[in-house]
Amino acid sequence: MIDNKIKETVMSYAAKIVAERMNGKGDRIAMRTKDGFCVNEASVQLDALKPEDLIELPLTTDDKDYVVIARLFAKRPEVHAVLYTHAPFVCAVARAKATIPAVLDDMTQIVGLNCKTCKSAATDDLVKGLKKRNSVLVPDGGALTVGRTMDEAYTCALVLDKASHAYVCGSVLGGNKIINCIEAKLMNIIYQKKYSKVNQENISKREGE
Amino acid sequence: MAWTKEEELRLRKVIKDSGVNLLKENLVQGTWGNTAVRLDEDHMLVTPTGLDYVALQPEDMPVVQISDTSVWSDGKKPTSERKIHAAIMADRPEINATIHSHPVWCSVLASARIELPVMSDEMQKLVGGPARVGAYGLPGTKTLKEGTVAAMKGRNACFMANHGVFCAGRDMDEAFEIIRIMEKSCKEYIKQCTLKITGQLEYSDELLFDYFVSKYGK
Repeated sequence: MIDNKIKETVMSYAAKIVAERMNGKGDRIAMRTKDGFCVNEASVQLDALKPEDLIELPLTTDDKDYVVIARLFAKRPEVHAVLYTHAPFVCAVARAKATIPAVLDDMTQIVGLNCKTCKSAATDDLVKGLKKRNSVLVPDGGALTVGRTMDEAYTCALVLDKASHAYVCGSVLGGNKIINCIEAKLMNIIYQKKYSKVNQENISKREGE
Repeated sequence: MAWTKEEELRLRKVIKDSGVNLLKENLVQGTWGNTAVRLDEDHMLVTPTGLDYVALQPEDMPVVQISDTSVWSDGKKPTSERKIHAAIMADRPEINATIHSHPVWCSVLASARIELPVMSDEMQKLVGGPARVGAYGLPGTKTLKEGTVAAMKGRNACFMANHGVFCAGRDMDEAFEIIRIMEKSCKEYIKQCTLKITGQLEYSDELLFDYFVSKYGK
């Protein structure tokens, strides 16, 4: 049985994703539970999600609709939330099968030094694509983002959307100026190790984990 | 201390509300961004570092000395960007409230490091002219601070390269008006650039996406 606080957290962030217009067909919102993870049923889109549409699955599931999420939770113990969303600017980059470079410093902190489009939507490619990263684009699809809390995964999706705006709009503005990789790495380490640690611990308690 | 306790309590609430309003108006994501209000000529209240705006309480805001930002009291550890807020307040005595944030459309121009021309009478009135881009620097560095102060000369807003936007007003309401007009003007500028480069007459996101995919698609 899924803990009520976890259900509330998932429902509340599903509503935020819809409010930000980052939702689309095939979206997933998943959160780690004691016995596995809680996720929306694959047939239910986020704009129609009800608490009874949330199901709990073990990390060993091989159901094709949820296996990527299960593998991510199993491989990365620090990850407590996984999102698959379809913000329009993000989808445009995924359609171009492009890599978003370090266009903004908050992107380097939470999303990573860049965000690649995976070579395919196969489970192994997506899981591999998220190795040591918090987000990856699915070719001709949307974005997979992960976080230590639901709030962090959601913020990662938001910041990725903003970075996609910067990258896509850069094409009509004469191009982006990219942050050099040493500075990008430094900001990423400081954020992950120090800046957000206390905040994530506080949020984790609030989200019911 | 040249301010009353009542005034301090009021301004603490102003700061708390400013963070929540940035989130509500989609002018910031997560814990990024920070705001400040002046208490007197050498003191200001700022938001603390790395805490989410919803959970923050008015009493969490530290009092920071403008002339030496390493000196602070009465709250949680202040934002590392306090030096920029302090530098602007030291340089501009008429400024009593500052916002540093990362709204989407402003971030686009900050990332492209492009000066925003005056897009409307309202922008001219509120910003004071084209919005410049300050020199790039890592968060919390002297380069970022000095670049921002230089770009703010004679203006009430500027971009911080690959970082975001900085806005300054006579009070927090005015600072919010400025960040709103910056965001609106950036969006309009990008639309105009899209129409110019594609030769079309009517903007849509799809028009921009198709141009992007044709240029960068694999």
